[in-house]
Amino acid sequence: MRTELGESALEYGQVVRKALEAVGGDELAQAAAAGAARRAVISAALADLGTWELDPRSGADELEAAAAACRAAGWWAIPYPVAERLARPAGLDVDALAVVSATRPAVPAAWLDIRLGAVMLDGRRWLAAAALGGAGPVAGHGSQAGLVTELELTAADEDGAGDAPLSLVLAAWTLLGMLDRAMTLTREYVLWREQFGRTLASFQSVQFQLTDAEVERAGAEELAKYALWSVQEQRPDALADALALRLATLEAADVVFRVAHQLHGAIGFCDEITLSWLSRHSQPLRRLPFGLSASRDQLTRQIGREGLTELFSGVGQR
Amino acid sequence: MDFDMGESVVELRAGLRQLVREHIPPDFLGAFTDNPADLEIAQRFCQILAQRGLLCMAWPERWGGRGASVWEQTAVREEMWAHHEPRGAQYMGVNWVGPIIMRHGTPDQQRQHLPAIANGEVIWCQGFSEPDAGSDLASLRTAAVRDGDGWRISGQKIWTSYAPIAQWCFLLARTSSAGRKQQGLTVFLVPMDNPAIEVRPIASMIGPQHLNEMFLNDLRVTEADVLGTVDDGWSLVQEVLAYERVGIARYARCERLLQWAPDALGEEWDRLPEELRSRWARMQVHCRRARLLAYRVVATQEAGRVQPGDAAAYRIAVTRLDQESAEVLSEMAEAAPATTAEGRRFRAAVDDHWRYSRSATIASGSIEMQRILLARTLLAAS
Repeated sequence: MRTELGESALEYGQVVRKALEAVGGDELAQAAAAGAARRAVISAALADLGTWELDPRSGADELEAAAAACRAAGWWAIPYPVAERLARPAGLDVDALAVVSATRPAVPAAWLDIRLGAVMLDGRRWLAAAALGGAGPVAGHGSQAGLVTELELTAADEDGAGDAPLSLVLAAWTLLGMLDRAMTLTREYVLWREQFGRTLASFQSVQFQLTDAEVERAGAEELAKYALWSVQEQRPDALADALALRLATLEAADVVFRVAHQLHGAIGFCDEITLSWLSRHSQPLRRLPFGLSASRDQLTRQIGREGLTELFSGVGQR
Repeated sequence: MDFDMGESVVELRAGLRQLVREHIPPDFLGAFTDNPADLEIAQRFCQILAQRGLLCMAWPERWGGRGASVWEQTAVREEMWAHHEPRGAQYMGVNWVGPIIMRHGTPDQQRQHLPAIANGEVIWCQGFSEPDAGSDLASLRTAAVRDGDGWRISGQKIWTSYAPIAQWCFLLARTSSAGRKQQGLTVFLVPMDNPAIEVRPIASMIGPQHLNEMFLNDLRVTEADVLGTVDDGWSLVQEVLAYERVGIARYARCERLLQWAPDALGEEWDRLPEELRSRWARMQVHCRRARLLAYRVVATQEAGRVQPGDAAAYRIAVTRLDQESAEVLSEMAEAAPATTAEGRRFRAAVDDHWRYSRSATIASGSIEMQRILLARTLLAAS
């Protein structure tokens, strides 16, 4: 049993996080719709670290490094499709790959200047291009405006059965990085902010909200490692494991961001506060390719009567 | 990453399941029921485990164990709890009474108690909680007063599981009122057949034997009954908590019952509301989550650097799982056919799970105490 990422992957994640801080850190999320120059800076910073040379399909070391890089990208909520680029498939002439739903194919990125492929859970693969509306690319709505690109798909092949689990798992590692950051920001805030002559952290009602959010975050982290291992081992259940991870991560995101906003109070909505940006940037990852209920439906269908493969699969009755 | 526990654990699991199939009836729901035969089954099973060296696997060889790995110990916890703990009350002696006596007992205490625990011959109970000392255990008032070369103990304990059937009690009493309330506590190893101990069962929804009152009426004990150092009992209690960090593997029973549901329901499964099957799938994810949080604690235990916050996070997750899965399973059990033996067994097992799960967030440290522990870790200076 080895339930942690390897030392080198952990170190790589730290290096990526520092490199992204050096090229802007929190400003990166605030400049989501910034021009190609900023995107080039992000891409170049990661290229310098060899991120784009990682092949997560080649074995445990590079897969773990890819997961750590996605988590670091999530920490800063960088407006760049790191997970999608790392999930680029074999046998399809594209630079990046995203899981999409048939009902609303879209990708959590504000622009497309890379060749994007798309895969559905059944393994069908597509070439993707930005859908054009009346005034140019359709770029999300509401709080996702400027963070999403709706897609038009052209059928490519049906060879992507192994692609969806990897894509879902790397996307979950990105969201996990956002949850890490939201918890860290909230912890720092409640230790600093005083009301009634005491820090917020000294109120038990505040402590208990924080612990409930941490249980969700920690649980999602453990499932993220498990699903990564499942992909690494190419287990037949890798898709179910990835969907289980997606479900747990979305549930965790709901609790963590709700608690983070509640404990920050009104300041948490302000653009000068990182949480405000982090919260908005989490939206596309939580809604695409499908939200909480649809993820649960997909999982329920996927596991059927058999259930997840666990300790007591097939031996419940004796 | 590697979540494979290895071949030795796979073999151990298979061996334990085989023993359960051979020696435990399929409708067994634990040692503590209204049927005394269930307790006898558990006592016999403990001796079978002991004969095969499976009861005290984690113990050092010197005391009859085989120094099993933490992952083998985990598998034993999972298999036993999933099958309604056929060791009965013995898990307590095996998990922490024995190990603490190994560390702090005198040679005489070790000779007297360890072989009996290792052979599955003795049941222990834990005399900790009192009417006015629950989560705030250090406030306990049961007093041990010096009397010649020994002590006289008077007071009341409550919630004492297995007290009517236990031969020994791991008793915590106040020996001094000086200093902080955590100081001045002492552990005594007390035989339960002493007439100065009166046990009164408390009828409850979680079944017989689980909840009892214990009255100590001028109980005379000697210096030889003290475990460790007088007035230093609190540090032993902390060790007990450390041994119990992972606690019982509640997720294993939840998982087994969830996995059993489709077979137990047969054709009725397909007629369940879609939303209920969806909740069933979600509960399986939560089972896995709790299991992996437990493994995080076990892995750090193996590396000798357990974080109390990790253990608390696991316990919060697993006790909630226990209760939430019981609700989902109870709805499913309504659809299980009462006309088949399997349907009836499933219903009974789910009902037992539901009743016992009510106490999950209270027993062995309430969920509030776990949150306090986790908050302390989260908010500590980094």
